[in-house]
Amino acid sequence: MKLLTLRGVATEAKLLLIGIPVLLWTLLPIYHMVLFAISPKDTALSGALWPEHPTLHNFAVVFGEEHYYLSHFWRQLWNSFFIAVTTGVLTLFVATFAAFAISRLRVRGGRAVMNLALFTYLIPAAFLAVPMYRTMGVYGLLNNQWSLILAMVALASPYAIWVLKQASDKLPYELDEAAIVDGASQMQLFRLVYLPLMAPSLVAVGTYALILAWNEYLYAFLLLSRDTAIPLSVALGNFLAADDSPWELLMTTGLIYALPPAAIYFVFKRYMAVGLTVGAIKG
Amino acid sequence: MKRLFAITLATAMLGSGPVIAQESLTVWWVKGFYKSEDDALLAAIQKFEDKSGVKVELSQYPVQDMIPKTVAALDSGTVPDVAYADVYDFQVTGKWAFDGKLEDLSSVIEPIKDQFALNTVSTTYLWNDKEKKRAYYAFPLKQQTMHIQYWNDMLEQAGFKASDIPTGWDDYWSFWCNKVQPGIRKATGKKIYAIGAPMGVDSSDSFYSFLTFMDAYNVKLVDDDGKLLVDDPKVKEGLVAALTSYTKPYVEGCVPQSATSWKDPDNNVAFHNKTIVMTHNATISIPAKWLDDANNATLDQAQRDQAKKNYEQLIATGGFPNKPDGSKMVYRAAVKTGVVFAGAQHKDRAKEFVAFLLQDENLTPYVEGSLGRWFPVTKKGQSSAFWDGDKHRKSVRDQFANGTVNFEFTKNYKFTVLNNENVWAKAMSRIVNDKVPVDQAVDELIARIKQVAG
Amino acid sequence: MSSPAVAKEAVVIAATGERKPWLRPGELGGMLMLVPYILVFAAFVLYPVLYGLWLARHPASYATLIADPIFLRTVVNTLVFLVIAINVKMVLALLLSGFFMTPRWWIKVLALIFILPWALPSIPTILSVRFMLNPEWGIVNSTIFRLTLEDGPNWLNDPRLALTLAMLVHIWKALPFWTVILTAGRLAIPTELYEAAAIDGASAWQRFRFITWPSTRTLYLTCTLLSTIWTLGDFNSVYLLTGGGPADLTHVLATLGIRYLRLDQVDLYMAAVVCALPFVLPLVYFMTKRLSR
Repeated sequence: MKLLTLRGVATEAKLLLIGIPVLLWTLLPIYHMVLFAISPKDTALSGALWPEHPTLHNFAVVFGEEHYYLSHFWRQLWNSFFIAVTTGVLTLFVATFAAFAISRLRVRGGRAVMNLALFTYLIPAAFLAVPMYRTMGVYGLLNNQWSLILAMVALASPYAIWVLKQASDKLPYELDEAAIVDGASQMQLFRLVYLPLMAPSLVAVGTYALILAWNEYLYAFLLLSRDTAIPLSVALGNFLAADDSPWELLMTTGLIYALPPAAIYFVFKRYMAVGLTVGAIKG
Repeated sequence: MKRLFAITLATAMLGSGPVIAQESLTVWWVKGFYKSEDDALLAAIQKFEDKSGVKVELSQYPVQDMIPKTVAALDSGTVPDVAYADVYDFQVTGKWAFDGKLEDLSSVIEPIKDQFALNTVSTTYLWNDKEKKRAYYAFPLKQQTMHIQYWNDMLEQAGFKASDIPTGWDDYWSFWCNKVQPGIRKATGKKIYAIGAPMGVDSSDSFYSFLTFMDAYNVKLVDDDGKLLVDDPKVKEGLVAALTSYTKPYVEGCVPQSATSWKDPDNNVAFHNKTIVMTHNATISIPAKWLDDANNATLDQAQRDQAKKNYEQLIATGGFPNKPDGSKMVYRAAVKTGVVFAGAQHKDRAKEFVAFLLQDENLTPYVEGSLGRWFPVTKKGQSSAFWDGDKHRKSVRDQFANGTVNFEFTKNYKFTVLNNENVWAKAMSRIVNDKVPVDQAVDELIARIKQVAG
Repeated sequence: MSSPAVAKEAVVIAATGERKPWLRPGELGGMLMLVPYILVFAAFVLYPVLYGLWLARHPASYATLIADPIFLRTVVNTLVFLVIAINVKMVLALLLSGFFMTPRWWIKVLALIFILPWALPSIPTILSVRFMLNPEWGIVNSTIFRLTLEDGPNWLNDPRLALTLAMLVHIWKALPFWTVILTAGRLAIPTELYEAAAIDGASAWQRFRFITWPSTRTLYLTCTLLSTIWTLGDFNSVYLLTGGGPADLTHVLATLGIRYLRLDQVDLYMAAVVCALPFVLPLVYFMTKRLSR
């Protein structure tokens, strides 16, 4: 450790002066969520900054489905997982093929498809929600989890294609040519050369779609109805209609619901940063 | 009935065949405020399934989501077969009937209409402007009216007894605001409010409460043919008085500040939390919740005992004070209506389901399963011993026994639009938030009424 | 593959000077690979969009829309939300990106925590904020009461305050993302430039003004435009916090849809969206051009 000069101390102080407010600002709503989750029912609404008798009882209630609004908790958690994972996988499938065709095979019309995709990406999703509901009605998919999954794939694919195309453009074409010379077929090229090289971006894109679907509220609320079909996000919204104000259970469930995306994000953080920033930096 | 039986029989036989796919009926129903309500519905549905062999696909939504969901479904043309929500009657049923979106249920209602109390079945006899005819476009299920709920123990803590509560209109509200509130705050040192007056735009409690205040001031907005009476200076005078009376406790700090954004469950929540001493509520859902808790196996014994005590002793149910002119209060009843959509896929089955549900032996357990929250629409149901069960239920029956009046929308469907927009709560908001004079808020209110319903 | 098509392709390639694509025989396979996305696009984007436009075809809808005072209020709210929230957010992101580039171990840890609002789902976090702000039992007003013995403000009941809070929630949620992007952009600036400036004795402001800003300006602009489009679609920040209330005075275009659904007037919402198109489409077009480079 170097000897701190006066100037150095001032700099550190200035940094702390920024860092502490940033930390408080970031954590306040999250802390509040935790606070509710560990408060007993009778003191949850007391406005205290720390409960006198912190408890894990709320988690037991949630996991034991011991409240009327939680009677399908495990089912809804599973629904969230199923919808998110399926969306992630399908998006990867759709987007990887499209990006490979556009970027590596350079099929005619690829650029137009790319532009269409970007166009979707840039239309505010809330604007599309109501007509999307109608569309699902026409297809007979309402109240079916596939309606949400397909809607989410449609919303996640454009960005996924774009990121994958950007990343794919950076791979040297000589690789492909060498593989072709060695007699590799198109599928072999895709499977043996393209996919392994693209792995980091694929992880980023899959995670992106998965988190997008996990976190979605508006579309899930509109497209799904039954208690046994809705994901946790909608179940949390339904809580607000309860007239015995089980807010501590709502926040406990919310905390449980918020953990997986945070965990996934931290695990794949390295890839995410690459994926998210890849094109934007080109400016 | 015979035909119905034949269909049922046929279905039962077909249903037993191995290759025939089971028929299904899509039913959307509002989610109950507590478990026993939903249990009663599920039991009725189970009975119907057993009897008819039809699979009922039931979806339940919270009350504030029912209308957006149904509207979206109507818009997309993929409607449920049968739908019911506690807010349909005063927000959409009349309009849907007018627009020709509902199925004529006369074949179901006509044969059994004598079983219903008159005021109930008449509110489902609606005008269809497409077909230019009046018919039963909805079915009555249950009804509600306004009650006052207060905590006996909090009243005592504040230093008063039930017999201290005045019966005169102004005295009554002033008693809670100027005597009970200071008393309880002094006794507990907590920031407790005397009155829970719902004022949220996104809530039916707020307009139900306000319209009850309007009734107290003898304001009539429409005549029996649905023509507006708002140009009468007396009507404006009455509206000003009713709005002033309603918003006064809020302005004086006797109503929680958040009341202006309350949704339907929020005054219940505030009451259960003991943030407020009294509230007016359009059902007795508040005590009923404690009765439900008292029998809830997932709670521990101490909690159940407390819930029982709350129900039997601590919470009081009562009527409003006398009108400002000194006469007895006459309550407005809202008859809850369910519908079958004209665009439904299984209309015959839907009617069959409605007819089944409306039979006393099915309807009464369902209505009573809500623990007194809803009052029956059939004569038989109303005379059931259930309503002698305890002080809350007796109070409800007494209020209904004195006769009820109906909502404006039963005469002019466009009032459903006004209720849906909640022009009443918006007028309150103008006064308490934007600080405009009551007179001006009423002028705006009348202008909007004329614009929408004129 | 017919030969005229190949010839035409060859001409196109010659004209644009692109590298000669290999794998011509496999182009059919390539097109097949585009099919899944094209299907998804046609079924779940194109169809809903066309249907929405079809719903908005009646001139009467527009007349009713303009006559609805809430619509005008919503337009104003949306503009206020866009102008204030986006600029505050982007300026903060730019400033914080400098902070997060400072090499300290605790700043690295802070950066990990800082990303949380963006990574966590909206519903529980925004409801948490909503509970915090409850005027009777919320933690904010309880604390104010404890410290000052005065009642705190009725946060979500004053339309202006409520909209401001919705903007703050939006910023809370979106700030980390843009900070990460801008930090990445600034890390790409060659360090030699700063070293040279240090030798010349440039002040912090001068370094920012003459090195950082010119190199990040384009990125900053792109981010602002992109953020404008996304903020326009931010349903959660407003809906979950205020529900559009009090008295429907804090709606923005994104939440108006639910309101019109509730009022059984879906055509009005689609008309509102159509009214917004002349402003949104140029932005979208411009961004599409920019991003597809």
